Amino acid sequence: MRSVALIAWYELHHLFLTKRGLLSLSAFGLVWFLILRYVIYSAPQVLSITQMGSSITGFLNSSIINNLVTWQVPEMAMFWVVMLYLLPIFCVILTADQTASDRARGTLRVLHLRTSRDAIYFGRFIGQLLVLFFLIIIALASTLALVMMRDASQLFPALHLSVIVLVNLMLVLLPYTALMAWVSSMARSARQATTYAVIIWIVCSILTGWLSRQFPELWILDMVLPGSQVSSLLTLSGWNTLSLALIPIVQTAILLFFGRMIMQRSDW
Amino acid sequence: MSLIQCNNITKRYGSTLALDDVSLSLEAGAPIALIGPNGAGKTTLFSLLCGFLRATSGDVKIMGYAPSDTKLHGRLAALPQDANLDPRFTVGHQLVLLARLQGLSSSAANKEARRVLDKVGLPEVIATKPEALSHGMRKRVMLAQALMGSPELILLDEPTAGLDPPNVKVMRSLIAEAASNATFIISSHNLDELEKVCQSVVHLEKGKLKGIVDIAQSRSTDHNGYYTVVMADTSIEAHIIIASLKSLASVSNVTFNTPNRFVVEYDAKQAGLDTGLDIGIIKLLSDKGWTYRQLVNGRTLEDQLYFGSD
Repeated sequence: MRSVALIAWYELHHLFLTKRGLLSLSAFGLVWFLILRYVIYSAPQVLSITQMGSSITGFLNSSIINNLVTWQVPEMAMFWVVMLYLLPIFCVILTADQTASDRARGTLRVLHLRTSRDAIYFGRFIGQLLVLFFLIIIALASTLALVMMRDASQLFPALHLSVIVLVNLMLVLLPYTALMAWVSSMARSARQATTYAVIIWIVCSILTGWLSRQFPELWILDMVLPGSQVSSLLTLSGWNTLSLALIPIVQTAILLFFGRMIMQRSDW
Repeated sequence: MSLIQCNNITKRYGSTLALDDVSLSLEAGAPIALIGPNGAGKTTLFSLLCGFLRATSGDVKIMGYAPSDTKLHGRLAALPQDANLDPRFTVGHQLVLLARLQGLSSSAANKEARRVLDKVGLPEVIATKPEALSHGMRKRVMLAQALMGSPELILLDEPTAGLDPPNVKVMRSLIAEAASNATFIISSHNLDELEKVCQSVVHLEKGKLKGIVDIAQSRSTDHNGYYTVVMADTSIEAHIIIASLKSLASVSNVTFNTPNRFVVEYDAKQAGLDTGLDIGIIKLLSDKGWTYRQLVNGRTLEDQLYFGSD
């Protein structure tokens, strides 16, 4: 456990100590600034009843919108929607190189002389989750600042919503990070890992789509891909969102199992 | 209990047989050389011992444990061939992580990183990224990571490959210094280098174990002694020199190794302790007017392994 914690902690360090980490951080910061300025900032107007029927209805269905307008803090509602769709993309890019380039470079060999394959695998996975957690905290903090600027009395409801959103976003990102841990254990570069992820995603989409048409009673097929619960999540609010938590947790366990198997059996 | 025990290990990469039913037992002590031509299976054997690869069949035990056993962490160290530290972080940052993974506290890990860098003569690179180091310096940093803590077995895969002579000398003295505390197993193509450092040799060829040779014993057996004559003048026909050397008393055989080396085998028992054969060889060369470069008492590792009569 000590090794897992150490490796995970060093992963978080890497976000600030490497050019790649800082570039990722800058890219996230820039994109987030634009979203904050042009999307979150205008959330009170966009999600107000009088504005309903405008651009947002083209993007989200009525049950989702009806749910979002009930949120006490519109900025947090908008944050929730944006992050649910943006973060998984960012997660796939950011977590692609969990072990791939270290394998190609032989660095994994040096680590393996001091720790187990499991510690490397799970340490890197948890480390990536820490990085994502940190990024969500930054984004949430900036959104809270925006809420404070508009109406300081909404700070406490916003804080409460922040915790709900944070927990849910981490749950959503779990299977994406596990998928990248798996493909990274087969790849020798981040690019190769991303390519594998895209191939697996497309093959699974086609396969589950075909199977669910052939066997409509197999409802479980709709839950195979990471993120499959996102549209349902948007119709829920408060801690009710955790009613779907089992889906990403099971997906993560299965994906981590596949990755661990490869990590254990592969030659370095 | 043997330091290393390999029982019938075979490793296949697809249809390629890298190691073929290799069994060997090595004991702790003086440095051991692992030699063989390219493709002999040296790196594969190293990787199996370190737990980087899994044998297709057979059984490997190091100090009584399977290679990937956590009980070997800190006791087994290695300099894997072509393995590099992460180019994005400083040498010190990475050595501290490695030391901490070996169980050291943060402050002890910092001290250990400095100690091993001092040991390899590179204390100044602690804040440098590996990509800014020369090839020789990177090798020494990799050796530094292998010296961390107090490993009992250190495997070095081609430690001097690509190094210039001064760096080879540094590497050799580092190994000699550390050899009193740990058993080294060194794989290399540089037989001259191995001869200077190692006591015994594991010889692999085409994935098979050809033998384990004790360098000291094989230099001079109870029956045979050897002199190696390195000629300066290569214009003289080899067979003429061979015939002349064979005419000397107690010489039983002479072999020629291109381009200029003649290994004189003599019957030590027949000649007695004070043979005077070396004087006889020098006198012969002088009488014939043949210029020689070196007369060595014994024969090189290369001659023993590839050209030896026994």
